[in-house]
Amino acid sequence: MGKEFTTISIPTTLYKEIEEAIKGTEMGSVSSYIVNALREALTKPEAKTAVFSQEDEEKVKDRLKALGYID
Amino acid sequence: MKRKVLVIGLDCAPAEIVLDRRSEFPVLGRLIAQGHHGTMRSSDPPITIPAWMVMATGKDAGRLGLYGFRHRTGNSYDKMWIATSKSIKEPAVWDIIGAGGGQSVLVSVPPSYPPHKVDGNLVSCFITPDTGKEYTYPPELRGELEAKFGPYVFDVVFRTEDRGQILREIYDMTAKRFAVLDYLARTKPWDLFWFVEIGVDRIQHAFWKFHDTSHHLYEPGNPYESAIVDYYKYLDARIGEFLRFVPEDTVVLVISDHGAKRMKGAFCINEWLIAQGDLTLKETPRRGVSIEKTPIDWPRTKAWGWGGYYARIFLNVEGREPQGTIHPENYEMEREALAERLRAIRGPQGEAWATRVIKPNEYFQDLRGDYPDLMVYFDDLYWRSAGTLGWGTMFLSENDTGPDDAVHAQEGVYILFDPASKVSVRKNIDIIDVAPTLLRALGAPVPSDMKGRPIL
Repeated sequence: MGKEFTTISIPTTLYKEIEEAIKGTEMGSVSSYIVNALREALTKPEAKTAVFSQEDEEKVKDRLKALGYID
Repeated sequence: MKRKVLVIGLDCAPAEIVLDRRSEFPVLGRLIAQGHHGTMRSSDPPITIPAWMVMATGKDAGRLGLYGFRHRTGNSYDKMWIATSKSIKEPAVWDIIGAGGGQSVLVSVPPSYPPHKVDGNLVSCFITPDTGKEYTYPPELRGELEAKFGPYVFDVVFRTEDRGQILREIYDMTAKRFAVLDYLARTKPWDLFWFVEIGVDRIQHAFWKFHDTSHHLYEPGNPYESAIVDYYKYLDARIGEFLRFVPEDTVVLVISDHGAKRMKGAFCINEWLIAQGDLTLKETPRRGVSIEKTPIDWPRTKAWGWGGYYARIFLNVEGREPQGTIHPENYEMEREALAERLRAIRGPQGEAWATRVIKPNEYFQDLRGDYPDLMVYFDDLYWRSAGTLGWGTMFLSENDTGPDDAVHAQEGVYILFDPASKVSVRKNIDIIDVAPTLLRALGAPVPSDMKGRPIL
């Protein structure tokens, strides 16, 4: 497939805006903020509808753990 | 000439049992004696999800964007999602023939929850939370089946060390499933009938150490020595009964998604990363705790891993992960350095391991979804990966999460019986050859983006 990362350019003013916005948050860098925001923007609406309820997801995960598929 | 096709999926069945012990299975033995048969190289990774769908779509895991049951949500540290039928974006054999009016009956082909629309009838698979959910297509099929057979049994409980209980439940589940299969084959219109019997996988994982004389925990004369093969004999006879409801000119494919072999142990990947200085925790972990539940010192962490039948390794990259430490320009160098160290890992007695390390962006031509930075098969999958912590060792002689004595093998098995051409041929195939084979047998065109070749 190719290289894992590629570089793009963004306006410096936007960069500074993001820098301010992430101060004091868990986001360690402007890049990770941007990557995260773009992923969210690209996620289709129907993909956001959960298949499992919280409870059902835990039930299925526990089962998969006991079966050895995950830990 | 258009014929019907029946796919008998035996999850995790290896050639060492199906082919090598064919004299013990009259029904399968007859199919082998009159059909193509051999090993089938499974997907990378060779796991139930995505293997069955790699088989059904003719597309590899990278194209499907599925690398197991669970996946990391983007570049999150702890959020994850479980693969479901909604995760499948590529057309399967049943979708392709459905476009031309072909009908299918699909029973428990993973992942088939939530039940997806199909031209025909569908019963979902073992990732269905419970029978209180809608688990058939069309929805009315559920009531129809429950009225005759009671609630469908998707799977067995794997929480207990009570092997007797597991055995009873596996037979009960299989008997109930075949009653449903008989009914569907007899009463529903179909051109393609595809079911997956998960009991094979379950009985092997639960009883392998009693069956395999080379397993390090094997004890001669144990009470479950023949449990696995006895189940295959039962299944063989039951398949014979089921075939009475299938037209005689049907092409029959008996196939597994991957094989099985003895588990040598579990390798604690995160314990190893800690010892290597790649992973730093904020506190001493409780024994057996998951990595997701462990506070990690991210600014002092370069990598962490997930357990299962193979290991997924994630790198902590600056600008990608929330608190990344590896600069993107150093990503390839750091990843290769880590890969080299992984390949050099030796077993608890210092024995050399045949470890395979896959870089998804180099291995898959088309790479989608939430893939890991590295996929690792410790010692050719003989050592499963344990992502849990607090063991005080890197090597566990048993599984860290449940009663399980077997691991997956890269090679599954297949038997392709074509009544119009009864000839016994030994030919090993690849999992992506299956979809083109089925489409050709069904008289449907093979899409040009399917890279595999028909077996016949």
